[in-house]
Amino acid sequence: MARWRGALWSRGHKMAAPMQRALCGGAVRWRWVLGPRWLSASAAPRWRLVGALCLQRPPSITQALSPEQEEMAQLVQQIEVEKSNFSDHEIRRLTEEEQLQKRKDNTHDEEADSGQAIVLAQDLEDAWEQKFQQFKAGPRITDADKRNDRTSLNRKLDRNLMLLVKEKVGNQELWLLPQAEWQAGETLRSTAERALATLSGNCIQAKFLGNAPCGLYKYKFPRAFRTEESVGAKIFFFKALLQSGDLLQAERRDYVWVSKGELGDYLKPDYLTQVNRFLMDH
Amino acid sequence: GAGLQPAAVAGAQHWRGAERSRCGRGAPGPARAMLAAARGALRLLPRGRAGAGSALLSSQLSWTINFRGNHWQTSMLAFQASLPMRAEPRKKKKVDPRREQVQKDRMKKKIKKMEKAAQEMIPIEDFVTPFKFLDASRVRAISLLSFEESERRALLLKKWALYKQKEHEAEMETLKSLMAAQQEALEELRLESEELYQAAIRRDEDLFPLEKEGPSYTPQIPGYEAPEGNASILPKCTHSEIRRLFHTAGRRYSVH
Repeated sequence: MARWRGALWSRGHKMAAPMQRALCGGAVRWRWVLGPRWLSASAAPRWRLVGALCLQRPPSITQALSPEQEEMAQLVQQIEVEKSNFSDHEIRRLTEEEQLQKRKDNTHDEEADSGQAIVLAQDLEDAWEQKFQQFKAGPRITDADKRNDRTSLNRKLDRNLMLLVKEKVGNQELWLLPQAEWQAGETLRSTAERALATLSGNCIQAKFLGNAPCGLYKYKFPRAFRTEESVGAKIFFFKALLQSGDLLQAERRDYVWVSKGELGDYLKPDYLTQVNRFLMDH
Repeated sequence: GAGLQPAAVAGAQHWRGAERSRCGRGAPGPARAMLAAARGALRLLPRGRAGAGSALLSSQLSWTINFRGNHWQTSMLAFQASLPMRAEPRKKKKVDPRREQVQKDRMKKKIKKMEKAAQEMIPIEDFVTPFKFLDASRVRAISLLSFEESERRALLLKKWALYKQKEHEAEMETLKSLMAAQQEALEELRLESEELYQAAIRRDEDLFPLEKEGPSYTPQIPGYEAPEGNASILPKCTHSEIRRLFHTAGRRYSVH
């Protein structure tokens, strides 16, 4: 299928040489006259298309409140209590306190004692407190957090964790998002799905968020690797949410699950800036 | 056999005369077509057949007599389509339409009356404070705030307003960056291949409905069995009843 070049669409194309820009600019106006001559005369660089996968494990616990949020939460609770009326439980507790006080001062009536409840409100509260103490909630800071085990999915439960893999690109080993080269006859989203399948071997179920790519990284190959067909590559990222599964079963050793803040430890600077554009939280 | 023809011919002549007297100069087309059709029909009529002939004789007579007296019969060949043969059995001719009409009018009158009458509001019980909560003994003693406390509160509110503003701005920036990144990616994709671009901007039908559990304060404990809840808290109204109540617009309803 003939590649269609819309020169009007390119804005701030770093790769466009001035010669090519003039050619395309002139060609656009005279396209109808020159016709096929324009198509064959363009020295447009060819890019390899790559589909990459931004697989995220969504958080399962809420983030801790910041100091400002804590202060405000306490103030709001205070105001709410001040503006409220007494509840049934509070009235019961107040009356029982009065009665206890009267009994201490020995001013109680013998007759009124007969109709008294056996279980006081205070006793109920103590029982509830006990029950709450007996319940052991799951830990917010897990073992994996303490060990800083970056291959574990149980780490940093309040953040989005992203999958990074180490691959050989050209002649160097790089940390990057899992990717696969585009083959004719498939959409880029299916390229990303294929990348996931080859990586995990069908262990991982993920929900892809739409057909459109969320970001792009464009780079040129070093002079040694450039050919007639490809000057560089365009990597299109697709977001997916991890539903179930893990890479433990897959035959892969060099992968990590990291949050956005830790990406800088692994990714190259240019790649990192492009990836950071489509990531939401810290 | 021989008797048929003179009658038919006489009928044709009579028909022709009638055509001239009625139509005059106007619309000779359909009349001529009918004439041709009638002539064709005459030629097609079998001669000397008793059984079929008697039926055809009566139908011949019917169309010679009833020629163009009714607008139901547009074609001379369509004998069965004339009015007397097409109508349904006329057992309840006058009574039924009138009765149905009367019934419809009664219903319409009733509806109008109901609409005109003031619509009763059904009170929502949740919006009415029960009397026991309005008791004076329930009111909390309002301790006046000290100067320091009120100052602290005022300053905290201002600080909070600023914090929320910054948070909102940061969120908006993130969203803009997200959208810009996607737009750029789509533009570059379009430069490469139009069909890939079209595939990318197509709506993903399988995306929704998307169900996802939100975050809780503590993580899930694997294999935990929650204790039984309190059944008396459940509402007395069933879900379908609530839905039915809330579908009618402009009325307030209560959930008992």
